[in-house]
Amino acid sequence: METVKINDLACNDLPWKVIYDTERCTLCGSCVSACTFGAISPKVERRRKSFSDTETPEPKIKFSATPVIAQQNVLKNFCRGCGVCERVCPNKAIRSERNPDSRFHVVYQASTGSGPKRGGRNNLDPHYRTLDTLRVGRISQMTDPSLDAQRHTFDCLAPLGRILPAAKLPFTVGQDGKLVKNGHTPPVRWIYPVIIGDMSIGALSWRMWEAVAMAVAYLNEECGLPVRMCSGEGGMPIRLLKSRYLKYMILQIASGHFGWNRIIKTMPDMIEDPAGVLIKIGQGAKPGDGGLLMAAKVAPHIQAIRGVPKTDLLSPPNHQGLYSIEESVQKMFLSFNAAFKFRVPVAIKVAASATSVSVFNNLVRDPYNIVGGFFLDGIDGGTGAAHDISLDHTGHPVVSKLRDCYQAAVAQGRQGQIPLWAAGGLGKTGNLAADAFKMFCLGANGVFTGKLILQLAGCLGNDHGRCNACNTGLCPAGITTQEPLLVRRLNPDRVAENIVNYFLGMDQELRKLMAPIGNSSLPVGRSDCLVATEKSVADRLQVQYVC
Amino acid sequence: MSTFINGFDEQNKRISTQQLLHKIYTAMEEGETVFEVQASGHHDIGGPLWTKDGSPLKFTVRNPGQRVGSFGMVGTEIIVEGPAPADVGWLNAGAILTLKGDGGDTTGHCAASGKIYVGGRTGTRTGSLMKHDPSYEPPEMWILKNTGSFSFEFMGGGIAVVCGYDSAQFESVLGDRGCVGMVGGTIYVRGPVKGLSKAVWMLDLDEADREFLLANMPVFLDKIDRPQLLAELTDLSRWKKILAMTYEERQRQERISLKEFRTGKWVEGGIFGDVVTDDYDRVANFVNAGEDRLKIPHWQNKAYGAPCQTACPTGIPTQDRINLLRQGKIKDALELVLNYSPFPASVCGQVCPNLCKDACSRQFLDHPVAMQELGRLSQDASAPAKKPDTGKKIAVIGGGPAGLSAAWQLSLLGHGVTLFEGDKEVGGKLRQAIPMERLPRQILDSEVERIKGMGVEILTGQKIDKAAFDAMQGNYDALVIASGAHNPVVIPFPGHERLVKGLEFLKQINNGENPRVGRRVVVIGAGNAGMDVALGAYAMGAEQVTSIDVQRPAAYQKEIDHFTALGGQIQWPVFTERIDGDGLYTKDGRLIEADTVIIAIGERPDLSYVPREWLTDRGMVDADDCWQVSRAPAVFAIGDTIKPGLLTHAIASGREVARFIDDYLAGKQLAAPKKPVMIPQAMLSKELFMVQNRGRFRVHDAKNEAHRCISCGTCRDCSMCLESCPEGAIVRTEMADGSVEYLSEEKYCIGCGICAGICPCGVWAMESAIL
Repeated sequence: METVKINDLACNDLPWKVIYDTERCTLCGSCVSACTFGAISPKVERRRKSFSDTETPEPKIKFSATPVIAQQNVLKNFCRGCGVCERVCPNKAIRSERNPDSRFHVVYQASTGSGPKRGGRNNLDPHYRTLDTLRVGRISQMTDPSLDAQRHTFDCLAPLGRILPAAKLPFTVGQDGKLVKNGHTPPVRWIYPVIIGDMSIGALSWRMWEAVAMAVAYLNEECGLPVRMCSGEGGMPIRLLKSRYLKYMILQIASGHFGWNRIIKTMPDMIEDPAGVLIKIGQGAKPGDGGLLMAAKVAPHIQAIRGVPKTDLLSPPNHQGLYSIEESVQKMFLSFNAAFKFRVPVAIKVAASATSVSVFNNLVRDPYNIVGGFFLDGIDGGTGAAHDISLDHTGHPVVSKLRDCYQAAVAQGRQGQIPLWAAGGLGKTGNLAADAFKMFCLGANGVFTGKLILQLAGCLGNDHGRCNACNTGLCPAGITTQEPLLVRRLNPDRVAENIVNYFLGMDQELRKLMAPIGNSSLPVGRSDCLVATEKSVADRLQVQYVC
Repeated sequence: MSTFINGFDEQNKRISTQQLLHKIYTAMEEGETVFEVQASGHHDIGGPLWTKDGSPLKFTVRNPGQRVGSFGMVGTEIIVEGPAPADVGWLNAGAILTLKGDGGDTTGHCAASGKIYVGGRTGTRTGSLMKHDPSYEPPEMWILKNTGSFSFEFMGGGIAVVCGYDSAQFESVLGDRGCVGMVGGTIYVRGPVKGLSKAVWMLDLDEADREFLLANMPVFLDKIDRPQLLAELTDLSRWKKILAMTYEERQRQERISLKEFRTGKWVEGGIFGDVVTDDYDRVANFVNAGEDRLKIPHWQNKAYGAPCQTACPTGIPTQDRINLLRQGKIKDALELVLNYSPFPASVCGQVCPNLCKDACSRQFLDHPVAMQELGRLSQDASAPAKKPDTGKKIAVIGGGPAGLSAAWQLSLLGHGVTLFEGDKEVGGKLRQAIPMERLPRQILDSEVERIKGMGVEILTGQKIDKAAFDAMQGNYDALVIASGAHNPVVIPFPGHERLVKGLEFLKQINNGENPRVGRRVVVIGAGNAGMDVALGAYAMGAEQVTSIDVQRPAAYQKEIDHFTALGGQIQWPVFTERIDGDGLYTKDGRLIEADTVIIAIGERPDLSYVPREWLTDRGMVDADDCWQVSRAPAVFAIGDTIKPGLLTHAIASGREVARFIDDYLAGKQLAAPKKPVMIPQAMLSKELFMVQNRGRFRVHDAKNEAHRCISCGTCRDCSMCLESCPEGAIVRTEMADGSVEYLSEEKYCIGCGICAGICPCGVWAMESAIL
């Protein structure tokens, strides 16, 4: 007699159902060995049947007891649908299937008094993306000098740093007729227009973080692609701070200010300046929320770098010392410009918001020439961990907001002075070159990407709720975990190689889009190159509507 | 005699390309084959043209436009006296074309056969897309000086010779970014080359190359009227050859590997090398054996107690008894229980409510294991061997189940025991109060005999008073107070003097005094004793017995079943207001008619012989959890003198106190032992057992229970784990003492947890190696 009660958790309540075929299963143990969540376990099933096989009823009993693999119906170790079981099964005997009737949100909250959390994905409706309604529609093969993506040289560079208009450059004509520099010019780095963005030590496993850093160094030194990487809000490894590779790193400061103690202490030992400093105010996937690193991931070395004990690490939603846009300019920009004696560009990252243009307008004035970039992060980005409520119900898409900011700058004749960088779900469909290119045309100087990098590392998750367990510290791919046994699954050389190859391919693809429009440098603001197949998008972005 | 084709008309006005070409066509139709063309930028002079009889065509051209010699065919020779703009020899299909001056951009573009001789320089994309159709001779293009940038783009075949004459002012005689996309053909080049594609090889000449150049250089120089340069240009020491990489060679990785980068160029030891220890060359799979497993199995035999064992106050491990039965060690099995209780037949087998059975995991399949019947089988089992005599003397006051249990255990431990019993025979309530129909005398007597056989000195008829107790203290190494609870509790409601005290009633019955009861009897108290009293009332002739209680009856279901089967009624909650000749009035004003009202709500101990200060406010002995009297370390108290309980509680405290006294006498610190934790049902794979039909279930021989017992928490040595382990990692070892151990070998085990998931006994447990 089973004793199941109405509020007992059942697989119907969970987001994923494990589908299992006992006929195909050989009990090799692979799935249960590989599942990091403990979402499946071996157990015994009783098979008992009465039957009669004679002319008259003569009951017989057939009994057997069979070991099987079964889903665990528990809130802690519920199946995340990562699909590792299916991956390792030699017999196609097991897989997880999305449960359209899931009651998970209700049962989780009713049982724990807390809303569910997840990591990695926003899971917005993937069927509609603004960027997919745009096409590069102005082809110059006949009307302009045609370029050849393979043979022509292209200038795929974007500025990080404050760009002064010619009239404001501190040059005067000397007696010999030559220009004389008689003042400080703000630092500008001309870098690859795709920054690898903002994933902290802590959010990523040490192998993963190092693999990304290695890929960046390799792209610079072996492939000539000046790609930069942002540290995320988790500090920096001291060995990297002291190495010559620091020049490829953008150091992030966020509301928790984690890791800066070590950065400051290492300054006398730095042999290179960092590529930049990024002040993180907000994150597009969970705007209004601070960083969230679950205790499960706060390993000893992270405790040390961040200067905190093992606990859920919640960065405050706001920088504690900032009270207005003016404050952020005056205090944060000034401090971080001063930190490296005004040699290193300082930019700011904000979540796209209904108020983004006001913020940008305010920064564009920049009388002290210390604003080195405006990074705008949209709703469709990923995040290591966040409350579902934030991921599902807050946020602002990046495309129209980036466009608004660019047009605001154009209206003042100041476009390009504060470089605009955009992110938030770019590369989500696998092609970052196309998304980036369209963003350039709409006014972005560059883009930054994080989630795609996880994909390149072998992330099993997707934007349809698969896995999304970055917050648990049990990442089956060794990417977002601090468990040594899981980290060991990640091959850092392979991950770095994937990133390198993807960037090389992306670089080719960017040229493939620059050539037909006849631009040999990035087509920043060339919205005439785009056409929209949606009238509303066309109207909003002021690009040509086509059908 | 050549035909003159003029690009100008009679008015000296330039005619169109179309008109000029038509002039040539017309002349050819008239049989002319040799032409002298005075052009003025006219395009496409020289091809595709042929004669019907195959006789050769020759054009001498001045001032041509683009694509001179384009589509030129075999048998056509074109000589351009001076320079020509773009596309000289475009799509040359076999003509011999001599350009005495410079060529424009894309000279030789797409030439696929024939020969092009250039006496000067050529522009960008020279030789781009030259090809070689293997059915014909390869195209050749000879250039005296140098080419512009992007030369030989996408070249697929043919031979180009760039002599680099008069090119000292150029960094590269092939311009910048030469040979991009070149997949075939050969380029001979003399002079510096820069910015060349990385997908080509720059090689030294071999013998065949030298032969080719030496043989053909005079022809070229002769064509362009520069024979005097022969010596200079046939100094082959300055020549190189460019070949495209093969398809396979181009697939090769040119960059260093990431591993090479990491180990050779990257921060030494890794950027986290100072904070984590990690060998990056070691990459785990999804499924791993050994130290990379996510879970580690442990064979933890007996880490958990079986439900029977943990539910039993005496802690009798029935699963061990049954394991012995399963091994055929029937005698050992039946004797094992005597280490726990001297009354397996009397108590387990007869009067105990058998909490073990209520907890038994087998009940969830069909019926609990027949532990009562098993207990009866031990009635005649012989006592275990005693330990050597310790010379210690211990007095036990009271010969009830607690005192007898203590005496039994103390004897087994080798101590000398003197037991003082107030009655004329030991047995306490087992003898005095339990109805004989529930506990036949001969069963109790045989088990008491077994105790006596241990050498316990039993003194009956010994009423212990204060003086006797005081005297006793000096004479023994330790004292056990086990005099039970014999003072019935009476509540003083009106008419309470009419009450019959239950314990006395039962004692009278067992004494054969046949106490008289009325036709209708009410028993106050529906606990275990209350049920015994109620049964006694029926036995003494009552017709209707009503049992009342203020709360849910504490009696066990089988006792209640027995009572109700006789027609007894239980009512609760019922609060007594008063009692008179009509019966019992309840607080809510009802009358339960009764001729006799018996009260059986418990008894208090009579501890008047014990110093008052050793007692609690409630009149119990004040003892700690090692049953040691707080104020008298050598004195211990057990059974109902501590707290009212079941017979099995009394037996348990007797067993426990023996251990404590043993430790006390050995000078050890006393500590209550940790009781085994009951195994969670979820750890058991009960599904491996076939359910028996409850309707047909009968216990024929309790020894057959060996097959029904699940052996919760104790390995039953079935080898299900060993057979199921997918990696064959589990090893079974028979130990010297006959026991068996299982081990999962780390080097093979993948941590799948099948052993733990299917173990019927819940003996395997998985330790998680991650969060």
